[in-house]
Amino acid sequence: MSSPRFRRWALLALLAAGFIALVSAMKLWEVSLAFLFPQELQVVHPRATLLVLVWEHIQLVAVSSALTLLIGIPLGIWVTRPGGKELQPVVASVTSFGQTFPPVAVLALAVPLLGFGLLPTVVALFLYGLLPVVRNTIAGLNAVPNDVLEAAYGMGMSRFQALLRVEIPVAARAIIAGIRVSVVINIGTAMIGAVIGAGGLGSPIIAGLVQDNIAYIVEGAAPAAMLAILADQLLANVEKEFAHAPDIIASPA
Amino acid sequence: MIRLEHVSKRYGNTVAVDDVSLEIETGLVCVLIGPSGCGKTTTLRMINRLMEPTSGRILVGGRDISTTRPEELRRSIGYAIQNVGLFPHMTVAANISVVPGLLHWDKKRIARRVEELLALVGLDPYAHAAKYPSQLSGGEAQRVGVARALAADPPILLMDEPFGAVDPMTRERLQTQFASIQQALKKTVILVTHDLDEAIRLADRIAIMESGRLVQYDTPEVMLARPANKFVHDFVGADHALKRLSRIKIGGYVKPAATVRVNASAQEIASALGGHRWGWVVDEAGRPVGWIDARDLPSAASLSEAIVRADTDEIAVARTATLREALSRMLGNGMKSIPVIDGQGRFLGEITLRDIETATAEAEP
Ligand SMILES: Nc1ncnc2c1ncn2[C@@H]1O[C@H](COP(=O)(O)OP(=O)(O)O)[C@@H](O)[C@H]1O
Ligand SMILES: [Mg+2]
Repeated sequence: MSSPRFRRWALLALLAAGFIALVSAMKLWEVSLAFLFPQELQVVHPRATLLVLVWEHIQLVAVSSALTLLIGIPLGIWVTRPGGKELQPVVASVTSFGQTFPPVAVLALAVPLLGFGLLPTVVALFLYGLLPVVRNTIAGLNAVPNDVLEAAYGMGMSRFQALLRVEIPVAARAIIAGIRVSVVINIGTAMIGAVIGAGGLGSPIIAGLVQDNIAYIVEGAAPAAMLAILADQLLANVEKEFAHAPDIIASPA
Repeated sequence: MIRLEHVSKRYGNTVAVDDVSLEIETGLVCVLIGPSGCGKTTTLRMINRLMEPTSGRILVGGRDISTTRPEELRRSIGYAIQNVGLFPHMTVAANISVVPGLLHWDKKRIARRVEELLALVGLDPYAHAAKYPSQLSGGEAQRVGVARALAADPPILLMDEPFGAVDPMTRERLQTQFASIQQALKKTVILVTHDLDEAIRLADRIAIMESGRLVQYDTPEVMLARPANKFVHDFVGADHALKRLSRIKIGGYVKPAATVRVNASAQEIASALGGHRWGWVVDEAGRPVGWIDARDLPSAASLSEAIVRADTDEIAVARTATLREALSRMLGNGMKSIPVIDGQGRFLGEITLRDIETATAEAEP
């Protein structure tokens, strides 16, 4: 019963439940932050409860990460096909250029074009998370052994069948590792969305910086860190699901 | 039948395959051999259209393959390669199921076929079907590769150094096993190798290539006896007479010989030997356990003292063995004749050094 796989997922479920319970307990935060920072008159951000802020944050990251995957993975696939191979170096350097851009600068550029709020934030996060996904998709697909591909074609798979049934599954772990990095980066970067009114866990942090209130900053930063750890663990578990010899055999009692 | 007609393949300025014409009869094993880079793989890959010839054409069953869709053609041709290329994310069973799946066989039929094939290549279906390639030894992986190539029962099998990536002992076992599978299935096989012993062991026809050109296409016997040119001569080496012996089974050269039971009386011995000087001694089960020399009998106190005892496995050869093995057994034991036994170890007759000499002369094609 207690296979390593079962234990992995059970532990994650436990952590997630603990996290939700913790961010739901506003009273606990008020008391502990008041104890830690007695100099502050107000210790929790009045705009919304933590649970709402976390939810906003998750939505922000989910939407931008979904976009990243939707664009990044097909882009990575395309530049490893015969038709798009010449563009591989270009795409690789453009995406890494995207990452050297400070997110605040992306926001500053996006606001005049897209206005305030959710949209420019999502665009910035999307661009920011693109590199690890594209890079790992390319690396994963390039690393599929030649013999494996040769066997796939030699057995009569079409290019599309070989991609779907062999290349992507074999590259899956690398691709998911890229997604993992991308999502964790985005959970941190999403903080800056609050600057232009996108909400999320950045709100108490920005308020804390403006009003010089450390309690606010901790209220935003602590749950964000926990969220990043949770997301990292979730994707680590998913990554393990694609191991080439899943450890489904129960360990001896 | 597979027919290559003036097939050439160029990569830029390199001529990988140069005007090769070749006909492989149905049910035979054709071994493509030659030094590295001589165009063996390229030739093989043109037959399942993984590569297209620059010029010339290839016919399979009388039909020009360029008129068949590549995917369709490949599903009807088994393909096994040196590094096996098993799909690492699929179990052994799933790997073997790929081509039947592409051909839309129903699930039950595929499952039955997987079991059948694993048994055929000598792997226990229960122990191996659910394993992943990373959990297999090199030899097991190669067997699975062969099983996968045979999955949809294709009439043709292309094999590119299929036993290349394993240790010599395992390789020999795999070759023997492949030979017996081929005996039963009678596929049309094109096998690429650079190992001459492998070619001689498995081939009905050998095609030797040198820098893209086909230099000789013959039976192994003819190839060894009459190399077409210096290149082939050097390639097959100086010990070709010995190599030729490994093509000939003992079976036809076994002769009856005098045998004596271990517990025979003096009279029985005399009548069994019937004037011969030597006799093989067999035990109650009929297994040869030594020999006697008639001249030793008068002086010996008993028969058991006169017997020169020997280990059956040391001196005897199986009827299915080759003349080369018989010869090496004789030389090893310093004997001019040795007993031949059946599968149960029972005495069948003997084979002599003279028989081997005769066979060598006869085999000269
Ligand atoms: N894709 C390719 N591009 C260019 N040259 C190639 C390619 N494949 C093979 N060659 C060349 O063609 C020749 C024959 O190769 P190959 O058929 O693989 O030889 P073998 O299998 O006998 O070792 C070699 O000189 C090799 O370098
Ligand atoms: Mg080769």
